Amino acid sequence: MDSLFLEFFQNTGFYLCDYRNIIMIVIGMVFIYLGIAKDYEPLLLVPIGFGMLIGNIPIFKGLGLGIYETNSVLHYLYFGVTQGIYPPLVFLGIGAMTDFSTLLARPVLMLLGAAAQAGIFVTFLGALALGFAPNEAASIGIIGGADGPTAIFLTAKLAPKLIGPIAVAAYSYMALVPVIQPPIMRLLTTRKERLIRMEEPRQVSKREKMIFPIVAFLLCCFLAPAALPLLGMLCFGNVLKEAVVTERLAVTARTALIDTATILLGITVGASTQGDVFLTASSVGIFVLGAVSFCIATAAGVLFAKFMNLFLKSKINPLLGAAGVSAVPDSARVVQVVGQREDPTNFLLMHAMAPNVSGVIGSAIAAGVLWSLMAKTV
Amino acid sequence: MYGIEAINANNGWAISVVGITIVFSGLVVLALVISQLHKLLDLYENPRKIKNWFSGGKEKDTPLETPSVIMVFTEEQKEIAKQFALLVRTMEDHFSLPRLLNLARISGVKNFHSNLNILLKSAIIYPDKEGYFCWNQDLYIKTISY
Repeated sequence: MDSLFLEFFQNTGFYLCDYRNIIMIVIGMVFIYLGIAKDYEPLLLVPIGFGMLIGNIPIFKGLGLGIYETNSVLHYLYFGVTQGIYPPLVFLGIGAMTDFSTLLARPVLMLLGAAAQAGIFVTFLGALALGFAPNEAASIGIIGGADGPTAIFLTAKLAPKLIGPIAVAAYSYMALVPVIQPPIMRLLTTRKERLIRMEEPRQVSKREKMIFPIVAFLLCCFLAPAALPLLGMLCFGNVLKEAVVTERLAVTARTALIDTATILLGITVGASTQGDVFLTASSVGIFVLGAVSFCIATAAGVLFAKFMNLFLKSKINPLLGAAGVSAVPDSARVVQVVGQREDPTNFLLMHAMAPNVSGVIGSAIAAGVLWSLMAKTV
Repeated sequence: MYGIEAINANNGWAISVVGITIVFSGLVVLALVISQLHKLLDLYENPRKIKNWFSGGKEKDTPLETPSVIMVFTEEQKEIAKQFALLVRTMEDHFSLPRLLNLARISGVKNFHSNLNILLKSAIIYPDKEGYFCWNQDLYIKTISY
């Protein structure tokens, strides 16, 4: 009987526990705390945080419980991440809830979304310099796109082993947009620039909004076909929204479907951060490079807005450049908050949504470009 | 391998330049196309402009039938005109009258038949001579602020 008790005890988490599991459980609890108490991206941080708790329960290998064991339930759910299934579903939902009116009203703001993608490629170079392989460097660089689903999608294709740290880094920094961006925005702009008021956007017709996703899809996917899974779903979701006659499908895409995909994505990505796999020197490197990537993306957007002002008759508020980072709608909200700190009657939110949604398109194109350039190295 | 050596060995500079160029040019082309989209749609919705263009601008757009005297609306009629203005905003620039009438009915606009008639008489809603109707925003603003 004693041996039975001993055998049972040896299979419990208390016996199998490793200090790395404890560290990851604490990090998971911090994520849950930030999500619930601080309201930082709760829809992402809470599932990921709880997933970390699930993934770091010390388990007896061979029972088919762990996410990396081929016969476990979690492994089947994780299939949607490793095969890049969940991110396009999330994009479908994003498309079904995005209004491109402000972008259509002032297309020049789209360039800010393009400029902010510089962070991706600068970080790619940084990661190469730190000794990462090109496919890993590309996956790390995409963190600068500030788009969790895109980062997961590209990493699943190029460096599946890094999905855990890259997804956690991408979502952590997305949640920390209100902390990371404002100092950079203030540092790179003068008070006079922050006070610039934007012109009232023109009214956009229903027909324009209907045609836009089709034109955008055709143009972008002919240019970068590898962006097809993400941009295809984003634009399809938007067509469902704007078509009105498919309202039922649009409602499902922007509610039940995106929520289901987000839950499964969050929980499995969290569960993939098992201490022994996650806590490595390369993870630390990924976190450092991710932060750098975010800062460069923000700075590139702001500086490009200032550069555009040299040529534009009707000046744009350079703070809008920070919204080129595609964390929708958080970076647009940050622009609004920083702008209103200088002038409480200046409303920048609706203008900031233009570079924000173009950032989503830009990061999806960047992911497609990196995937097609790196496909041979994988 | 680390540093610049690693970047050179992996063709990093070229990949970065090509990558950012493709992203930028893609979004620039898209921005250019969508900046012209409303103009193309305007031509599609007003084919007379194309005819004018080919005839060297000899034919001019039919002027709006703006009456010389602005009709005076009661406060209630002004409110109902505002409701119709909101409904028209959800429709195309050239809209069908039965559809507007149906929208007004399901939206619960009071006496929608007679009030639509008033908007027609006042020329706030005017025919485009191709079977559809348009909304005269200037006249509407003048009328409700009268």
